[in-house]
Amino acid sequence: MKALTTLIAMSGFLREYLTVLVFGAAAVAMVGAMLGAGSLLRPKRAQLQKYISYESGVDPVGTGWSQSQIRYYLFGLLFVMFEVETVFIFPWAVRLEDLGLFGLVEMVVFIAILALGLLYAWRKGVLRWM
Amino acid sequence: MPSLVAAAFEAPYLDYAALAPEIVLTGVLLAVLVVDLFVDEDRKAVVAQLAGVGLLASLLPVVFLAVDGDDRSMFSGAYVVDDFALVFKALFLVSGYVVLLMSTDHIEEGDYWKGEYSFLLLSSLLGMVVMSSARDLLTIFVALELLSIPAYMLAGWRKRDLRSNEAALKYYLLGVLSSAVMLYGMSLVFGATGTTVLEDIARELGGDASEPLVALGIFFIVVGFAFKVSAVPFHFWAPDTYEGAPLPVTAFLSVASKAAGFVALLELIFMGFFGQDNVWQPLFWVLAVLTMTVGNLVALRQTNIVRLLAYSSVAQAGYMLVPFAVGGSSDEAAGTAQTAVIVYLLIYAAMNLGAFAIVMTVARRTRSGEISSYGGLFTYAPGLTVLMTIFVFSLAGIPPFGGWFAKFYIFKSAVDAGTGWALALAVVAGVNSVIALFYYAGVAREMWMQPVPGDDRTPIRVPPALGAALGITAVAVMAIGVYPQAFARLGDLAQLAVR
Amino acid sequence: MYLNQFLFLAAFLFCVGVYGVLARKNAVLVLMSIELILNAVNINLVAFGLFRESVAGQVFALFVIAVAAAEVGVGLAIVILIYRNRHSIDLTEVDMMKG
Repeated sequence: MKALTTLIAMSGFLREYLTVLVFGAAAVAMVGAMLGAGSLLRPKRAQLQKYISYESGVDPVGTGWSQSQIRYYLFGLLFVMFEVETVFIFPWAVRLEDLGLFGLVEMVVFIAILALGLLYAWRKGVLRWM
Repeated sequence: MPSLVAAAFEAPYLDYAALAPEIVLTGVLLAVLVVDLFVDEDRKAVVAQLAGVGLLASLLPVVFLAVDGDDRSMFSGAYVVDDFALVFKALFLVSGYVVLLMSTDHIEEGDYWKGEYSFLLLSSLLGMVVMSSARDLLTIFVALELLSIPAYMLAGWRKRDLRSNEAALKYYLLGVLSSAVMLYGMSLVFGATGTTVLEDIARELGGDASEPLVALGIFFIVVGFAFKVSAVPFHFWAPDTYEGAPLPVTAFLSVASKAAGFVALLELIFMGFFGQDNVWQPLFWVLAVLTMTVGNLVALRQTNIVRLLAYSSVAQAGYMLVPFAVGGSSDEAAGTAQTAVIVYLLIYAAMNLGAFAIVMTVARRTRSGEISSYGGLFTYAPGLTVLMTIFVFSLAGIPPFGGWFAKFYIFKSAVDAGTGWALALAVVAGVNSVIALFYYAGVAREMWMQPVPGDDRTPIRVPPALGAALGITAVAVMAIGVYPQAFARLGDLAQLAVR
Repeated sequence: MYLNQFLFLAAFLFCVGVYGVLARKNAVLVLMSIELILNAVNINLVAFGLFRESVAGQVFALFVIAVAAAEVGVGLAIVILIYRNRHSIDLTEVDMMKG
């Protein structure tokens, strides 16, 4: 009996995924049709420059694997830290009125400590592009 | 779908008196960070002084709370201030202060990042202070990360030194892996019980035979903490990290960080999983035997004093694991086991910090960590030699020094438990104490009887801060040796209520 | 409920992560493997939280995400430090001291 209910529950679970599958198939078909029609209709004149990867109008230099500047790392790190801290702010924001003054005070303390971190980064010159 | 939306919000009760040590410490560490930003390079000593005064200031509320004596509980039992918490808060703050004293000259002469050093040390201490009160899986996790992450950075503090880099990398990778494994165990325990508060977990689990899910969860959690306390076979990061890290940081890791791991284990095992002793008792038995034996045998072969102390601290962790392996049979056994671990941690902190303070003092002149550089230390630094002898004999467990008393409690817990396995463990611990005697006595023999290498007898200058650190630890070790009853009382008081 | 599907996914991710930590030599790939373990934990926590009708699972997962970000920040800093000093992040070469 338990196995049967599990099976029914399973099929319900799979049915929900069927929607996803149909949606995905439709998306693939649509894009395929558009691209296919485009390649049939457009004129083909092969030129070397057309095969260079597009990089905002600048000629690409070097290979695909290139090391990025170490400075990007500092910015990336700073960004990730402050961005991840928003996971604590969102739950507070959606229940702002319920949490009332208590929530507000706690959040101000939290953001103040985060702001000190930003102050530290600023004084250490992390925010300046040298 | 079950509804996860909570009912109307009710602000949790915050007992600011109970939180005072944490609040003061947080305030001080933020002040240290800001002051460091606006102080000139040649006046950086102010920052370290501020950190030291702040540490003592956060010790004050701990004392007041201890005098007051009430148990205070917050967040439905997730954060508790009781005697257990207060004893360990005091231990962490005092040993943090000693480490700060030890660091003063070391950091200043090395031209390191002085302000950040104090800030990170205080952050790590805040994690430990929180850990003493944590009675909830989530709080334990956050406290553990708060104390570990600054420690990873401190281990790599000598940025240009490849050894320090290596120390930081090894410590970091194994630390992060162990906390990931521990978290996986916590998620399984949460799944089996539906709560993260240890008291409720104990109630849900009861004394029933373990489900596989629970057994697996407890196994992963214990393995995760075995890394933190450097138990064999999860110890291999410890000697390398201890050798490569700056010496005050090594002292900090081997004492405070290890103690914090044991505090978490005490809370988890004796509060949360006490009824499930069929899972954790055998596990701790194996860990204790391996840790004692391997730690002591490898320590015998060391020629570098820091590596010797590293392996000796691995072996000491093994002694501290013994009570865990015998404490599950009854409530009384659990009580004795907890007292044994708490007393051992307090005494171990004093004697190990003292030994490291001596190593730092001697290394300032000899610039060497080899044991042979201690040859004939008595002829030109008799005071240091006597102190070091006290510390190593205390570590070896020879009466009348404090370490003897700590070992006595370990054996007592095993004998009181009375089962065959417990007695076997006591025998293993006894044999190990004898093995340990050889290398500890070897250090003493080098200092008292060997000739001075290079016949360089210029006396060693002891800077005042380092001298103060030596004084505090020496007084602690002597006081414990002379008045052991007071410490036993402390250990009895600080027991966690089992279930 | 379909709890076991989530648990299997999490257990699989956990095993892949542990394998990666043990088998990879590149420090950054080891860091990524540890992230896999942490994500296994998050899946477990959220699935169990739903199953047990307790919000604690989701809260725990949020904390794991935030702390993992801090850990990775420190880890990458250590890796960069080592790269600057020895121009390689191959873990088998970081063995001046033998445990």
